[in-house]
Amino acid sequence: MDAAAHEQAARRAGIAREALRDCLLCPRNCRVDRTAGEKGYCQLDDKVRCFREVLRYDEEKGLNPSHQIYFAGCNLKCEFCTVSEWNERPDAADELDVEKLAATIARRKKEGARTLNLLGGEPAVNVHGILELLARVDSEAVVVWNTNMYYNDIVDELVTGLVDIYLADLKCGNSDCAQRLLGAGDYVEVAKANILRAAGHSDVILRYLVLPGHLRCCLEPIVKWVAAELPDVKLSLRDYYVPPAQVKEAPAEYLGRDEYRQAVELAASKGLTLIE
Amino acid sequence: MKKKPYRRKCGDFEIRVLADGRLVMLAPDDELLAMGRELEPDSSLLPPAREDKRNGRT
Repeated sequence: MDAAAHEQAARRAGIAREALRDCLLCPRNCRVDRTAGEKGYCQLDDKVRCFREVLRYDEEKGLNPSHQIYFAGCNLKCEFCTVSEWNERPDAADELDVEKLAATIARRKKEGARTLNLLGGEPAVNVHGILELLARVDSEAVVVWNTNMYYNDIVDELVTGLVDIYLADLKCGNSDCAQRLLGAGDYVEVAKANILRAAGHSDVILRYLVLPGHLRCCLEPIVKWVAAELPDVKLSLRDYYVPPAQVKEAPAEYLGRDEYRQAVELAASKGLTLIE
Repeated sequence: MKKKPYRRKCGDFEIRVLADGRLVMLAPDDELLAMGRELEPDSSLLPPAREDKRNGRT
């Protein structure tokens, strides 16, 4: 990010803050005034909160070491979320101190961080704070927008050109599973439209966490769609599904090696480029 | 021992030991990753061992 990008990030942060007055950042379209302390589906007012920052070595090849910054609050309710406690109670996390976090980012860069990985929760519902942060970070940072892709057009307009890589974490492949597992029946349609849009202007890595028992209903429609619409996209199939402690609709078991192998074969059979 | 599964609260970390011996750390922080490094010194998915200046170990 150069000086012009810093300026643009600061200007867009102002636009994003204004948008919080009648919040339409995501398809929940809550229309609450977050600047007045109102909270919508994501349980966030206008304060941005971070609950963890860590240097990881197990993200997709080329991203590591990746400095992950977790923002609290999400617009989905994935039953299998591994940080759900922070999305249910985002106000339990520390409020973002932009200067302090910018200094931490600089320190992590010195420790070897190759990418700055913004995740959550969901970064889209925290976009105003993230833009304020980007206005202050090191100009050489490679920014990864690690997102569920469930947001309205305004979010893409706000971050385009300021993030380098969209790590599009597609959660499900059909509306029924999306409704049952994420609480968003329109998720797949929205996420696909946003992925296509992102791929039109940025580098996209399409990630799918393989859900046990969901190869036919979720993965198969995803790989068919990717093969038809984005045949050159980098596809990442992750194998670290962890069942929630109390299962309702989500798979109760861990992913087996055989099922993961089947998932890889399914993607390969469509000629897709898999990355580790 | 409670029969119901423990429900994580903000600030908790969760480690699971699976029947086949695998250890699962959910959304780990630096400390848990360092612990993972001790258990699996050769893994490329974990941070490199840090120099411990107190006792000369790495």
